[in-house]
Amino acid sequence: MHCDKCGGPAVTHLAYSGLHLCEGCFSQSVEKRVRRRVREDGLVPDDATPDDPDTWVIGLSGGKDSVVLTRILHDTFEQDPRIELVGLTIHEGIEGYRDASVDACRELAADLDLRHELVSYEKEFGVRMDDVAANDPEGMAPCAYCGVFRRDVLERYAEELAADKLLTGHNLDDEAQTALMNFLEGDPEQIAKHFDASLGGFDDAAGETGGAREEQDTFVPRAKPLRDVPEKEVALYAHLNDLPAHITECPHASEAYRGEIGDLLLKLEENHPGTRHSIMAGYERLAEAAADAFRGGADDLGECDRCGAPTDNDVCRKCYLVDAVGGDITAAPE
Amino acid sequence: MASVKVTCEVVGEGIEECELSADAAYGDLLSELGLSRHEATVLVDGSPVPADATVAADTVRVLRLIRGG
Repeated sequence: MHCDKCGGPAVTHLAYSGLHLCEGCFSQSVEKRVRRRVREDGLVPDDATPDDPDTWVIGLSGGKDSVVLTRILHDTFEQDPRIELVGLTIHEGIEGYRDASVDACRELAADLDLRHELVSYEKEFGVRMDDVAANDPEGMAPCAYCGVFRRDVLERYAEELAADKLLTGHNLDDEAQTALMNFLEGDPEQIAKHFDASLGGFDDAAGETGGAREEQDTFVPRAKPLRDVPEKEVALYAHLNDLPAHITECPHASEAYRGEIGDLLLKLEENHPGTRHSIMAGYERLAEAAADAFRGGADDLGECDRCGAPTDNDVCRKCYLVDAVGGDITAAPE
Repeated sequence: MASVKVTCEVVGEGIEECELSADAAYGDLLSELGLSRHEATVLVDGSPVPADATVAADTVRVLRLIRGG
């Protein structure tokens, strides 16, 4: 089989577009989609200058998604002094698994000469996920604790590193799963929040795509430039470009519902190529309409009595959980 | 119809023998292994091959994708 663009030997068939692509044309296609998303979402503000660059902190786990995102953004902006990239890696205290992916992060950061920060749950909260998963005082899936801790660490360190944006490596499969889960859970307010939190473009993009998010004062704004690229293509890109991605599943992975939705989507994609793309195309428009409808509601967040984080309770979820697992937020360095 | 036998090394998991119809594609081989073509790639001589290409190797490696970044 031959590449539809250059006639070279094809390495993949993108069923949703019908294209067969060779190694080089496939890699270019992935890079092009990431750059187009960066442009369409208006990630580079008009007022960024070499003297006052926009700082992007990338959540760098060492898995294929964040490694591919970091590499493509580095290659795109290496010669552009308006953008500064910082890799932020979190060690959750998962022996073996995270040790290997931290090594992948260090290797990538060294290869790219990228500023790289490493933080851990142990230093932040005095806990390790291996112990949390074993003790499980709240009777929840390990991912439910870990997700709350990770969000807190990412947000605090993004602030500390003076980030203008926090970027994560969510791919098309991740986003289509989230979209479907929000829809099936019957939660339009969550869909609206999804739009303002990460799907909508920044002000600078208004006019190009028409879908600008509302600015949020409380958190460093997030973006997901890899969200147009299917998971398989991200992995294939990492493989073909010999990137130091750590490809192993977390030993505590337990998001049963997300897994079920993921399997359903793959079956649909098999029989109806393009399903994930069309879900996201429609969902983004619905999410924008939902955001318009629900904005300005009673979302006045107070401050957590313990850590000062925004919350609508006396104590935020993170402090509650840290307490439940026998940790200590005062373990966090100033 | 004639069939072909293919030895598949699923990376990190083990080796399996598959018997397929002579006109089967690599995507059919993945199905035979219980994998979706959206979660795995077949490698022939170390290079990925399109899932809709007809099987033309008697030994392949299968690279599984892992959920979660």
